[in-house]
Amino acid sequence: MDRNEFLTQMQDILQTDEELSFDMNLDDLEEWDSLSKMATVAFLDSNFGVKTTFSDFESIKTIEDIAKKAGI
Amino acid sequence: MTEFCKEDIFLVTGASSGIGKAIALMLNEQGASVIAIGRNQDRLNALKSEASGSGCIFCEVKELTENIESLPVYVKELKEKYGKLKGLVCAAGVDNPRALQIIEEQMSREVFDINYFAPVFLAKGFADKRNRTQNAGIVFIASSAGVYPDKGQTIYAASKAALIASMKSISKELAPKGVRVNSISPAYVETPMYFKNLENIGTNIEDYPLGIGKPEDVANMAVYLLSDKARWITGQNYVMDGGVF
Repeated sequence: MDRNEFLTQMQDILQTDEELSFDMNLDDLEEWDSLSKMATVAFLDSNFGVKTTFSDFESIKTIEDIAKKAGI
Repeated sequence: MTEFCKEDIFLVTGASSGIGKAIALMLNEQGASVIAIGRNQDRLNALKSEASGSGCIFCEVKELTENIESLPVYVKELKEKYGKLKGLVCAAGVDNPRALQIIEEQMSREVFDINYFAPVFLAKGFADKRNRTQNAGIVFIASSAGVYPDKGQTIYAASKAALIASMKSISKELAPKGVRVNSISPAYVETPMYFKNLENIGTNIEDYPLGIGKPEDVANMAVYLLSDKARWITGQNYVMDGGVF
């Protein structure tokens, strides 16, 4: 998965029409709630084999941070 | 007084007959537009010709169980075609009364596909805020069998009980997002499915203090639950059984 496709996937996870960018602060998005975090955990696991827990999100501030977790 | 305007678009499955048809017609009568989904074009056309409301009736022929995983994408396609949805009514369903000793796996899975998985995956698509209006509602048509099953309903009752349980879970997920989710559990209602299964069911109408229901009885409740009058109601299952409990 390339970075553009990653952003598209994140748009589906967040269910937003807003154009996303890697430096976007997740806390500024009203869609960034416990359910979207749950969806992100599943997304990282099923697409990248990366196991995350809710406590990992304490250090995740931007979409770039999620991309780093995914290794892309 | 009408509850809705034609910009209020409702997606109704099972709209070509029975309870789904009654709900589609009543929503339309109340001023809403309806995307009527069914498997039979002729029956959908008949629905359209019966509609007398000021909103539109859009007919879509669809076999919902053909590819359940893709139903969220289907909802998105309908949104792009007709506009954002205000409500979802899942009324498509099947009953196949069978004694335990003659149930078969394949038939059981088919019952679950249409009664349980299709509504859940339609709800998944509808829940996406890109596909719906800010304040929106979902009504699942379950069954009193999902609350107090009778003999011969091993699979059917389980599929409806599962739907009621999922409705409650979904309602908690979606309440903060402005979506209310409820279900209606009718006992026997005068629908084609009821008459088809009458012999197997062996219903004693005398057991129904208020008689068996009419599709419009259920439609009245569904339209109410989809309206702003029900703004404080979510996660509830309403049994409508004419007093037969």
